[in-house]
Amino acid sequence: MKRREFVKKATMAGIASTAFPYILPSGRLFARTTAELADHVVYVLFAGGVRQQEAVLKRYLADSQGVDVEGNILINMLNGSEPERKIVYGTTPAGEPDGSQPIPKILSQTLQNQGLLFPEIKAQNGGHYGGLTSLLTGNPSTAQGLKVRPVVPTIFEYLRRHRGFKASDVWFVGSGIGNSFPLLNSSDHPQYGTEFGANFVAPSVTFGAQGTNVLSNAKIYHPQEELEPIRKMRAFLNNSFRIKAGEIDGIRNDESEKEKIKTFIRQTFEKQMSTGLYHPPVFDSHDLQTVAYAAEVLQYFKPKLLVLNLGDVDGCHANFTGYLRSLHRADHAVGWLWNFIQTQIPEMANRTIMMITPECGRNENPNPIRDENDWVAFDHSGDENTTRIFSMMVGPNVPSNLIVGSETNRIGRATDNVLTIAEIFGIKEAVKGAGLMDTQATSLFDRI
Amino acid sequence: MNMRIFNSGIILIAVAAIFSSCRKDVIADFKVNQETVLDPSLEKDRDKTNKQAISILYTSLFQKAISSNNLFQTENVIESFGDKALINEVIVSNYMNSPDVVLPSDSFMRANPDQFIKDTYKLFYVRIPSELEISFFREYIAANPNVTVELVYTAFASSDEYQFY
Repeated sequence: MKRREFVKKATMAGIASTAFPYILPSGRLFARTTAELADHVVYVLFAGGVRQQEAVLKRYLADSQGVDVEGNILINMLNGSEPERKIVYGTTPAGEPDGSQPIPKILSQTLQNQGLLFPEIKAQNGGHYGGLTSLLTGNPSTAQGLKVRPVVPTIFEYLRRHRGFKASDVWFVGSGIGNSFPLLNSSDHPQYGTEFGANFVAPSVTFGAQGTNVLSNAKIYHPQEELEPIRKMRAFLNNSFRIKAGEIDGIRNDESEKEKIKTFIRQTFEKQMSTGLYHPPVFDSHDLQTVAYAAEVLQYFKPKLLVLNLGDVDGCHANFTGYLRSLHRADHAVGWLWNFIQTQIPEMANRTIMMITPECGRNENPNPIRDENDWVAFDHSGDENTTRIFSMMVGPNVPSNLIVGSETNRIGRATDNVLTIAEIFGIKEAVKGAGLMDTQATSLFDRI
Repeated sequence: MNMRIFNSGIILIAVAAIFSSCRKDVIADFKVNQETVLDPSLEKDRDKTNKQAISILYTSLFQKAISSNNLFQTENVIESFGDKALINEVIVSNYMNSPDVVLPSDSFMRANPDQFIKDTYKLFYVRIPSELEISFFREYIAANPNVTVELVYTAFASSDEYQFY
């Protein structure tokens, strides 16, 4: 090629690449709006319904049981000293009262010190599914039905459609298969939908006793001699069928992703039968087991976005003591997970933002159920206290040791998180432009 | 005009009109059998529930009904994973590793490929394969000595059409 021709073509290519938006492998157009703030996001739905009084307000028993004991039981997340009396939320040393030994703190610096805290934001929905849906769609979801996928896109779909992420780049690790949780990995929206959904796993089932019976004896096929013929024959069969893959409901990984996920499933079964999984020092609750599997997903796939749903605190409907234990363990889980990312996953250390938000609060007034300590329980049936939640964020480009708002100055909405994640990945304007979110939602970065 | 020539013209036109007028239709008969050309797979437009898919698969592979406890567990496991096609493949693979699975022998497949292919289509798709489908599998099996009954069954059990009825 002559020099003049080369210069001409190079100039044209330069102009074209600047002037036109990117074309994704999916064939869709997108334009990145801003620079990325982090490579990965871990989004913890600190879920199950958390009362502000026992969380950021650190009132322990003072605002619930009429017992004058205050203190902080979220010791990895928040600053503040622990309660000094009536300790029931820890572990149980031999011969000591139940729960009397608080779980030692994991982080040398609390997440509050390391990051940004919005101590008082507004939950959009007082129910679990509606609340979780609003945290994942950025839409108040007031018209959202149960047992159906969200009607507006989730953050997974925004990221996959506008940012071009693969299915295995986005994961939703659920605390179970009840409450329609498996439907939250994608919406039914015609412009988005399962084609852009996330991989979902409920580890307590997939890797629990049921999964062990059904999945753990899977064969390992030789890639060329066995897998390749299966793929070729299946491709012929699928091509002969009128309904094509894109029209079939459900998330679909490509062939290489599928094999990677199958290897992960096999290795996870092997690992839990042999050396055991990575797990927090205290490992005695459903949430702590879920977070252990989330850590395995993080370490194996290094996903762009992992959403982790915790839910044990919902035991507060009938057992306040159990609720305190679950809250303390959820904090232990979050602290351990943050430490795990920073120390055990070099590819994600210092390149990951973690966000933590409950999906709803709980009532101010109790129901009549009393537990073993004669303490009353709390539902979440929609009073003003149910709309009170907090949100926090930590990681690169997140201001440290900053509090925005207060108990008397509510700043922020649960629906802000989706735009915040969109901003982290540089697609905030594209997500806003879709016009399917809460009109009052604002990125938390813009709330500062 | 001469009257004689005029009359001759009239007669000629009349004769021509007679020969070009209505004739009896000739119905062509090519001695071809009447066949339905609609692809039976076109009628499958409803996807099986997890319960249906697992019950049918288990019965096909083990020649007996799945226990209610096993069915319940398998349904939950499918529910617990987002990519249903992927988890279905793992379940099929798990079944194939069971000593109780009932499969035709590889020697039967290679000795009677057409019969094997027809049986397999009937077992999994509940339909007769087309000539194109028979031809593809006949040639693929012949050309690939590594292909076993297990691999063919796995391909069918994890295909899209198997998820519909």
